Amino acid sequence: MKTTLSLVLCTAALAFGAGPTLAHHSFSAEFDIEQPIALTGKVTRMQWSNPHGWIYIDVENDDGSVTNWALETSAANNLIRRGWKREDLPAGTTIVVEGFRARNGTPTANIRGIQLEDGRRLFSGNAEELRN
Amino acid sequence: MKVRQFLICLVPLLAGALPAMAQDIPRTADGTPFLQGIWQAQSRAAFNLEDHVARHDMQAGQSVVAGGSIPYQDWARAKQQENFANRAELDPLNKCYLPGVPRIMAMPWPFQIFQTPEHVAITFEWTQVYRLIYADGQEQMYPGFEHWMGDSRGHWEGDTFVVVVRDSNDRHWMDAAGNFHSIGAVITERYTMVDADTIRYEATIDDPEVFTEPWTISYPLVRQTDMTRLLEYQCQAEVEEANGAFERVDSLWHPAPIPEANIPFDANAGADLPLPAMPAGIPRHADGTPDLTGLYTQGGIANYGLEKRENLALFPPANGVIIDPIDGILPYQPWARTEMLERREPWRGYDDPTAHCFVAGIPRSHYVPSPYMILQPPGYTVVLHERMSYRVIDMNRREHLPDNIRLWMGDALGHWEGDVLVIDSANYNGKAWLNELGDVTSHAQTVREYYIPQADQIIYRAVVSDPIPYSRPWTMEMPMPRQDGELLEVACLEDNNDLEHLRDVRDEHRAQQQE
Repeated sequence: MKTTLSLVLCTAALAFGAGPTLAHHSFSAEFDIEQPIALTGKVTRMQWSNPHGWIYIDVENDDGSVTNWALETSAANNLIRRGWKREDLPAGTTIVVEGFRARNGTPTANIRGIQLEDGRRLFSGNAEELRN
Repeated sequence: MKVRQFLICLVPLLAGALPAMAQDIPRTADGTPFLQGIWQAQSRAAFNLEDHVARHDMQAGQSVVAGGSIPYQDWARAKQQENFANRAELDPLNKCYLPGVPRIMAMPWPFQIFQTPEHVAITFEWTQVYRLIYADGQEQMYPGFEHWMGDSRGHWEGDTFVVVVRDSNDRHWMDAAGNFHSIGAVITERYTMVDADTIRYEATIDDPEVFTEPWTISYPLVRQTDMTRLLEYQCQAEVEEANGAFERVDSLWHPAPIPEANIPFDANAGADLPLPAMPAGIPRHADGTPDLTGLYTQGGIANYGLEKRENLALFPPANGVIIDPIDGILPYQPWARTEMLERREPWRGYDDPTAHCFVAGIPRSHYVPSPYMILQPPGYTVVLHERMSYRVIDMNRREHLPDNIRLWMGDALGHWEGDVLVIDSANYNGKAWLNELGDVTSHAQTVREYYIPQADQIIYRAVVSDPIPYSRPWTMEMPMPRQDGELLEVACLEDNNDLEHLRDVRDEHRAQQQE
């Protein structure tokens, strides 16, 4: 498999497709599809872990305070095979994400992809690819 | 026999000096030493690599380090001693985390070595851990990422199999005494058969960040002649069953009886479906058997439901993977369908064993969203699941394990029918779920699987007979496409941030029920 990034032109919506992120647990048991969320923030840390990678971003709230959000991606191995590189997400990078909030009310969300400042979009992978 | 004893006596004196002396060892047709078999370290090195006296949690033992002690830098020795003093709390193995190399080699559980010209795989009884050692000279495909078990590349130097392990993370210890290395460590292992039943194991640790010079450990690995096969020790599952975090299901786990109210199981129901046609151009080994070696990925949406279905929350409509019954609907006993539907509720997500990072069982291991590697060493078909579990299919044994031995992954016996690999499995423990949506399996499950080779994929078919949750056998079929690339490592438990969320959702539901 080629490990080049698949570059997709920026469109109005992120449109990463339907279907939950590939996971080792029930999507709906942890995340709530009734609570879609869009966030823009600066990366504080990327955890290249399995069964899910985690991107942590600081998001400024309306009152000026800052919340550190934990964003769940598919497995780090999946990201590596899709061509994600450590260099893609240094701390301080601004990213835009769409996803679904965790049911337990913590600042946690499941995301299916991210958009970088330069318009590049990195797809994390989801179950729609497995449609049959 | 006398020759063998003589060699054992000589080896400690002459190790390395006479590389060609071990004549009395199994070899492959081309003369390469044949390491395949079930082995276990004969050593106290798992407690402490260095000289140590007994403690309440460890046997005494003499050093396995050449020269006696590990050449730590001063700061690193201080850290090791701090680790030792706080080992009950700090030892990563006490959390069932992956032990890393070389610790896994010395632990008091047996392991099995499988050998082909291109790969050596080591499967461990401890928590279904395995190591895949690429021995084909291929460069690492995904450099720059650390792994708990490191990246292993092997080659033969005379009769010694040399393995270089790089890119290990620094989150594990090298023994229970807090000895440690850094991410930059390069560990060079040497496996040398000194007689038919003994491998001399050596490992040299080169890590200038922590040590003043490279240092070497060695101990014997001894062939285990009293075992039909490796069994299972699932560390975290045992912990969570013991402390109640993973709750027993009396209706499905061994030895649950068939419910009296069940619709009688009709073992003969179902279509005798012909197998898909096989094209001429499938890869083959020199002896003509189909060559299944390679990396495969899940080709179906079975992890998100086996049945044909309409829209379901985020999931698009799907035809499902059930080909018998022909309506695509599983022949559930009514109570079992109720159970399956309840498992879709958010508060039941915690009960899925894979959410706890336990192994996925059969057939689910074929369609969890992680690839797997198939190897065909002599006498076996070995499937290494990236999600850190494996399945060894014995191609020679014809009788299953005794009925009272129950396993997450079952006991699998394989044979060829023409070009189709047929696998019969039993001895399940009934603890698995069949997918994230909660399709039901029990310990009474027996499975006949078919690996049907194609040019660029295997068609996977499984006929499942399970008289507890179902009223008749059913059959699933899906493609397993070959994919390029190398197997990576999924260390699941170690960074499983999800389980706490799932437990919160369950506990909130239970609290509401009690109000």
